Amino acid sequence: MTDQGIKSRPKYQRLALDPSGRHHLLLIDGPALSSEAADAGFDIAACETWIVIRRSAVPPEPILAEAPGAIRPFRSTAHLFSALQDRLARETMGLRIYAAGTEDFLWDIHGIADQAGMSRQELRFCHVGSKARRIFCVHCRTITAGVKTSIVACSGCGASLFVRDHFSRRLAAFMGVQVDAEAPGEVPDAEEIYA
Amino acid sequence: MIADGPIPLRVHDIESLSPSLKRFSLTALHGGELPTAAPGAHIMLTLRGPDRVMKNAYSLVSPAACRDRYQIIVRHVAQSRGGSAFLHQGIRPGDVIEAAPPVNLFPLSQSARKHLLIGGGIGITPLLSYLPLLKARGARFELHQISSAEDVGVFERLLAPFAPGQEIRIHGGGRGAFDLAGILSRQPLGTHLYVCGPRPLMDAAASTAAALGWPPGKVHKESFGEAAGGLPFKAILARRGIEIDVGETQTLLEAIEATGIAAPCLCRGGACGECRLPVIEGEVEHRDDFLSAEEKAAQSAVMTCVSRARSARLVIDF
Repeated sequence: MTDQGIKSRPKYQRLALDPSGRHHLLLIDGPALSSEAADAGFDIAACETWIVIRRSAVPPEPILAEAPGAIRPFRSTAHLFSALQDRLARETMGLRIYAAGTEDFLWDIHGIADQAGMSRQELRFCHVGSKARRIFCVHCRTITAGVKTSIVACSGCGASLFVRDHFSRRLAAFMGVQVDAEAPGEVPDAEEIYA
Repeated sequence: MIADGPIPLRVHDIESLSPSLKRFSLTALHGGELPTAAPGAHIMLTLRGPDRVMKNAYSLVSPAACRDRYQIIVRHVAQSRGGSAFLHQGIRPGDVIEAAPPVNLFPLSQSARKHLLIGGGIGITPLLSYLPLLKARGARFELHQISSAEDVGVFERLLAPFAPGQEIRIHGGGRGAFDLAGILSRQPLGTHLYVCGPRPLMDAAASTAAALGWPPGKVHKESFGEAAGGLPFKAILARRGIEIDVGETQTLLEAIEATGIAAPCLCRGGACGECRLPVIEGEVEHRDDFLSAEEKAAQSAVMTCVSRARSARLVIDF
């Protein structure tokens, strides 16, 4: 059940610098790049790096350099996403984005980059951290976040949803389908498999 | 309607735009509407000259919404291989020409946030078909047309209907005065580049864009097979046991067609890959945009519409 053989399930790779890029922006869901997210030779100094520190006491911002080697801290992912939208609106062609974090983080960035007209050729993602999933209920359209189990109660309509590997890049969520649609009440036990 | 067979067209009108440019309006011979051709499409005309039959591809310049006629603009080149000279001198209003249904190998991207159009000389033609759609959609675009000094006036007239309020520039000083790297380096994220013109311009645009970090998927080229000539050679069609002489001003595809054999083809400009044939023996001088660098180095296939033999003989599995 951990690999359902579904092609839309995203595959990730350790980050490697794309030498064809002109500017490199590294986005990290955490205070630093974990060793499992990038090759040993990954040259972080070639990137402008944005980190999420999840603290209110963000160091006072000097005049922030938008340059390789600069590191810019954010209070939260929402804070980073908002700045990313503004930044991409005035970026020029040649940018490459590298992101390391949970799937929620990666695919929210994908959505912002897509809105700015970036293609998959300009993005590199590595999934690190929690395997918890965002589940889209195909019956009531509600998204339930942080799902760690094979079956989950929809936070919108309460249906017992089977968590599929079927992934929507547009919604940045996995598909959840009512597990007892054929035989009402027959709900298998939920197993924690997306820790 | 799915168009498959050839479309007979009547030459409705011929306008002289400049000493070397003519615009042909072609209508359906039997009346009615022509198949829709999306912006960037071309048609392949079968031109029956006095001594040989030529097949040439021309970009449509008429708007996609225009179904009552196809318009093409043809430049009469001094070293014409016959097609443009025949259209300029041998075709009159009322004549009938056969066309293959329109094919589009140079479509506009639906996800682009901005369209950067670069034309060189007569390479303006597919860009002209884009402009009505881009204007109608209110899409963001920028157009640069590189021109010889004598053609500036005609390009100004062709672009004038789209010019108000738009970033359209004609560079009359040729390639030298044109800051390609400057233009490519200041484009916003989400820009797609479309370039049509002579081979050196398209190569320069593609390599400059790559050096500035443009991903290959956002660079679109439309070639029109202008460099067709070369040294003569012998082509051997192994399956048929036929030996063909390919002349200096003839393409390999034309030489095969001249024997009456129908060879695969579509764009006739080295872009689509349809005419690819396996090579058994001999060295190919690759001139297409379709094969990868590895495939070209392997010398195992040839694009008959533009590529030639570097060796005296080329044996083809056909």
